[in-house]
Amino acid sequence: MKKLKKLLTSKFFITIVWVVMLIAVWELFAFHVENIKRTPENVQPHLSGIVDSLTSDRKINGSQTALQMVIENAKATLTRAGIGYIIGIASGFLLALFMSLSKIVEKTSFPYLMLIQLIPILGMAPIINAITGDIAKSRIIIAAILTFYPVATNTLAGFKSVQREKHELMYSYAANKFQIYTKTMIPACIPYFFTGLKISAPMAITASILVDTLQGGIGLGCLLSQSLKGAMTRYVFWDIVFFSAVIGILSFYIMGIIEIMMCPYRRTGKR
Amino acid sequence: MIFIVLFCFISFPEQRNINELKGTISMIEHERNDIEIMLDNVGMVYDSADGKEVTALTSVTMDIHKGEFISLLGPSGCGKTTLLRIIADLIHPTSGNVLIGGVSPKDARLKRRYGMVFQSATLYDWRTVIKNIELPLEITHCPKKERHERAMKMLDLVGLSDFADHYPRQLSGGMQQRVGIARALALQPEILLMDEPFSALDEFTREKLHVDLLKIWRKTNKTIIFVTHNIQESVFLSDRICVLSPHPGRLSAIIDVDLPRPRTMDIKDTPEFTALVSKVRNSFEGV
Ligand SMILES: Nc1ncnc2c1ncn2[C@@H]1O[C@H](COP(=O)(O)OP(=O)(O)O)[C@@H](O)[C@H]1O
Ligand SMILES: [Mg+2]
Repeated sequence: MKKLKKLLTSKFFITIVWVVMLIAVWELFAFHVENIKRTPENVQPHLSGIVDSLTSDRKINGSQTALQMVIENAKATLTRAGIGYIIGIASGFLLALFMSLSKIVEKTSFPYLMLIQLIPILGMAPIINAITGDIAKSRIIIAAILTFYPVATNTLAGFKSVQREKHELMYSYAANKFQIYTKTMIPACIPYFFTGLKISAPMAITASILVDTLQGGIGLGCLLSQSLKGAMTRYVFWDIVFFSAVIGILSFYIMGIIEIMMCPYRRTGKR
Repeated sequence: MIFIVLFCFISFPEQRNINELKGTISMIEHERNDIEIMLDNVGMVYDSADGKEVTALTSVTMDIHKGEFISLLGPSGCGKTTLLRIIADLIHPTSGNVLIGGVSPKDARLKRRYGMVFQSATLYDWRTVIKNIELPLEITHCPKKERHERAMKMLDLVGLSDFADHYPRQLSGGMQQRVGIARALALQPEILLMDEPFSALDEFTREKLHVDLLKIWRKTNKTIIFVTHNIQESVFLSDRICVLSPHPGRLSAIIDVDLPRPRTMDIKDTPEFTALVSKVRNSFEGV
């Protein structure tokens, strides 16, 4: 009885229940759509259809199967997202560092940080594109900008979370600024920093795909809009939707795993 | 010949005089050397956020001797922490003078003569117990091997050698506070400043730590300034109790605790102990 209760509340079990429920709801609607629409794949196809389209070896554009196409385009998009993500992390962390080092930097830059967050990506993209004159660069920059904000704010919150007593300890040791940061401030903000990383990883990917759609070339978003325009089977669209959902969720968990590897102290013991 | 005799005759009394003088000087010097902390008319007025001035402390004057165990006792808000922070060079008094072994609190801090223990153990949760104790030694660039050895010695002193590789969250509150004490001792400071270090612990753990702190104190000969709002605690531990009273914060009495040492828990059942507790209790003003 106890074992059953434990199983029912286990994380794994709850995840399974959620997935099954989602599939059931999806299929319910798919059946409904199938009855009232002539081309149900335009609205909501069956999951089996999507899986079929991914596994079939039918060449879509003469040389590639659907899966090959998705993977090739995903590589381009994820590379851009990854580069932008790393740039965003680095600049976000550095800004947080400068903000914690100097009240003036904090007071002058915080309002503009908010502003960045308020402009929609699709509004920002053409501006960036006009400035850089290169769509590939703009895609990277947009991913970087979206990463930047969560990383900067969370890291800053981490710096501010350091207890007064810890500062006083370092003061009583007559530690210098460099030691204060390397021994206390930066290690203390790591969990906060990772919160920023976990929030922004799926965002960077989503932004990359969205900005892809603005112009042609190679990329998940480009492929997505071609499929929507009817240049190829609609199932490619669904493939991309599911593929990016999985990648987005994975990116979150990968960051979580890196965090656990980097912070052994959070693993050990209960509480 | 006559001259020499005459010279001796004249100089002998002088010699005696000078020797006497030298004696007095060395006595004064000895007395001064024995004083670790000198507080002279120390006062503190805070500028609070709403523009009002808060008088936290007025004219505290006292000397604290080397190796003494002093308690700062009083209800909350009477300026105990303020006084401790003034000694630790964390804040500057708005009036009066503080000398630590003849130098300013700042110089004393730069010479790393303070060890600090807070109410919360304030351990670094990403460091193991031993690495926590090594932290101050890292700051002073102590070589790795020596660092480890010294940290292990401190850990041994607080009786936690078996927990060197544990993380703080795996320890009980009392053990965490022991680690905090070991860390405070790592740089071998002359003065240990403790701000209500045991007030978050349960009664059983606290009593155990009292006895252990006294043992550590005897072994290391530190000057300890121990902030507390617990009368029994201060009587059990201290050589002298500084009773602070609020509104405004001031030193209202200094009470000698002449209970024999080493003290064990049994001492709390003696009439002398009880008498001292009530003497301390009666010395408060305006609470
Ligand atoms: N930074 C500060 N600014 C303004 N008032 C303060 C500050 N710190 C302490 N006080 C005031 O000074 C008085 C003494 O505080 P404190 O030294 O912390 O007392 P205790 O440690 O005995 O409880 C209190 O009335 C408190 O409100
Ligand atoms: Mg206090």
